[in-house]
Amino acid sequence: MFSLFLRQKILMLRNSFTLGGLMRRLPFILLGAGLWLLLYFGTCRVLSFLRVTGTFGEILSEKLLSLVLSGVAVFLLISTVITSLSSFYLSRDIPFLRARPVETGDILKLKSFESVLLSSWTAALFTMPVFVAYGASYRAPALYYAVSSLSFLLLILIAGGMGMTAAHLLTRVFPAKRSREFLLGLGLLLFLVFYFAIKSSLPEGYASPQEFLKTFTLFKTDAPLFPGYWVTKTLLPAIKGRTPDVLYMTLLFGGSALFLFTADVAGRRLYCRNVEKIGPSRDGRGPLPERSYPRPGVAVFFKDIRVFFRDTGQWPQIFIIGALVAVYIYNFKSMPLRALMGLYPFAKEVLVIVNLFMAGLVLTAMAARFLFTSVSLEGRAFWVIRSAPLSSRRFLWSKFLYGFVPLTAIVTVLVSVTNYLLKVDGPILLLSEGTALLLSVSVCGLGAGLGAAFPKFEYENIASVAVGMAAMTFMLIALGLVTVTLSAGAWGYYTYAAKIRAGGFHTAESIPIALCLLFVLLINAAAFYLPMRAGIKKLRTMQF
Amino acid sequence: MIIIDGVSKSFNGFHAVKDFSLAVGPGEIFGLVGPNGAGKTTTIKMMTGLLSPDKGKILLVNHDIVSEPTKAKSVLGYVPDKAFLYEKLTLKEFMFFVSAIHNVSRSGALSRIESLFDTFGIRDMEDELIEGLSRGLRQRLVFCAALVHDPKVLLIDEPFTGLDAFGVRTLGEIMGRLSLKGVSVLLATHSLHLAEDLCHRIGFIRGGTLVSINEKEEIKGMEGGLEGLFMRLGR
Repeated sequence: MFSLFLRQKILMLRNSFTLGGLMRRLPFILLGAGLWLLLYFGTCRVLSFLRVTGTFGEILSEKLLSLVLSGVAVFLLISTVITSLSSFYLSRDIPFLRARPVETGDILKLKSFESVLLSSWTAALFTMPVFVAYGASYRAPALYYAVSSLSFLLLILIAGGMGMTAAHLLTRVFPAKRSREFLLGLGLLLFLVFYFAIKSSLPEGYASPQEFLKTFTLFKTDAPLFPGYWVTKTLLPAIKGRTPDVLYMTLLFGGSALFLFTADVAGRRLYCRNVEKIGPSRDGRGPLPERSYPRPGVAVFFKDIRVFFRDTGQWPQIFIIGALVAVYIYNFKSMPLRALMGLYPFAKEVLVIVNLFMAGLVLTAMAARFLFTSVSLEGRAFWVIRSAPLSSRRFLWSKFLYGFVPLTAIVTVLVSVTNYLLKVDGPILLLSEGTALLLSVSVCGLGAGLGAAFPKFEYENIASVAVGMAAMTFMLIALGLVTVTLSAGAWGYYTYAAKIRAGGFHTAESIPIALCLLFVLLINAAAFYLPMRAGIKKLRTMQF
Repeated sequence: MIIIDGVSKSFNGFHAVKDFSLAVGPGEIFGLVGPNGAGKTTTIKMMTGLLSPDKGKILLVNHDIVSEPTKAKSVLGYVPDKAFLYEKLTLKEFMFFVSAIHNVSRSGALSRIESLFDTFGIRDMEDELIEGLSRGLRQRLVFCAALVHDPKVLLIDEPFTGLDAFGVRTLGEIMGRLSLKGVSVLLATHSLHLAEDLCHRIGFIRGGTLVSINEKEEIKGMEGGLEGLFMRLGR
């Protein structure tokens, strides 16, 4: 029975490989290949740098491997729990499988295979260049590659067994969907803790690379009970052509057998009861006060806000944005501004431009996710809007406001805080805040308009709409707009400031600067108006 | 009052509806029956503005659905065959939303929603999320949403899908009341005996063309009733 299910999955996978599908995925394939090569050459470079320092360097390279494997093991564990929750409990084929004469054991086998495979392929793919780089750096024998493949497979099985057991136990207590979203948030929190822990343990402004390395050796990566450590201890002798330690190999084999067995026992005992619990449930809310009746002009806006906060599937993306903003601000805080000012008199202004560009990137990414998808978010319930006496213009403006208000708030806070950290004041402060606001209006208009012009109402997950071809086109246009706006603005400001510093600025010289500002305003107005108009037209004539 | 005049619609060369003409008077309940793929849903979707006709005209209480969509839709109530809803809203929030986009005043909406919830037996679950509702309860909610703004025209595509005996009976009674109030009702259905009971006239559509229109009494006098007619014309 298991092989039958497996064959069906393979057929589904094979049928999904079409030329069109391949072309759609091509940018991601190229991105993945680039990342793979970057990891390989990056690791090679780091190892060649570390290993020239003799024994000290050897210790560092072992620490680095241990650190990488510890991180990968944690990632694998969280990833398996999340994937298992989806695969065992939230997958659409569960009712189909349970309604057929299929043994629970066969369903468990199929879902276990699916969970382990889906949760580990990215980790396996992107850990591979690190292993290969280590092998190349140490000129390791063929045995090393065999041992690294086997021990990594065992690590995957250990994390898989642990993750699946955790998923069954969690679903016994909490609803599967809530657990999955909680874990996504937890994963991100762990990443932030990890990031800030490393950042804060490193001294700011290293006097020398040796000082950095010395701090790095203080990291404690030895954890004998941790499977990532067992893999490190198995690999280190093999990389030097020695026989791997039997103890750690035994621990890896024994651990994987034990945790897979635990997952099987937990599955057999809990799965049927857990699945039955998932059935239709009524989620009650408090009585709705009469004053919450919306005015017609803002009904769509308030509906969207309400749905957004109730749809827990949206939350992990908010956490991701929060994490990015936190990391971004933290990095600005530790910028050696005084030293940079000594190197270049316009350093602060350059940093303001870089800051605005980074804020533009954040704005574009958020607009792709929340504004470009806002019309598509109606999904198949769009008939409610389409059959109502609601003009397309009013509908699209509601969608614009739904994204524009929070995105502008985030971008304004981001730019203001970083300006404060950079101690920016005077005209450049006003100019940067004004540019951030201008870009918020135009990028949000561009996103809402193009999202309405190219809507997609049928999807599994709304996040998939934000990575489609139309969304990518939006992002490219938005990034182009940000670049042109900032370049023109920077040129205008530089011309003005250079003349002031040189001792005089004549009124006649303000004409090209004024034209430059007019150009910036015009392209931003066009970036807002034209897509919004196209979106309204599409909504008016759309066949649904 | 519904007037459909010479409407056609095709998709990639396939004629889904061909030269369709029909008038449904105030207070009339008109049934549209026909085999699968005959063009019933396409016709109704054109009447709601979800699809635009390639040619012809559709007037709802004298408002053209193409040139005056907002006015035409403000008199229209629509129940689709597959009603997807906002899963994360409660029943009452959904009704508030639908009422507001139909420009119903707050006081008018509140009493109307309460009354509709009572009629369809879903008052005690008004603060629950839609995602937890069964198919039949969703269908009742969709009817409430279609009626909340007191429409003059009601278009219903497969109204009895998922409804239990109580729901079907309630719906029959409501259609009777709406008819007395002068609302024009057009319903497309496969439930022939219910169409025979509820409708004043029944039209048979096949291959996108309206092939016959008969009065209720006329059909009752035919051999095999509506089912017999369906079998003869549907071949």
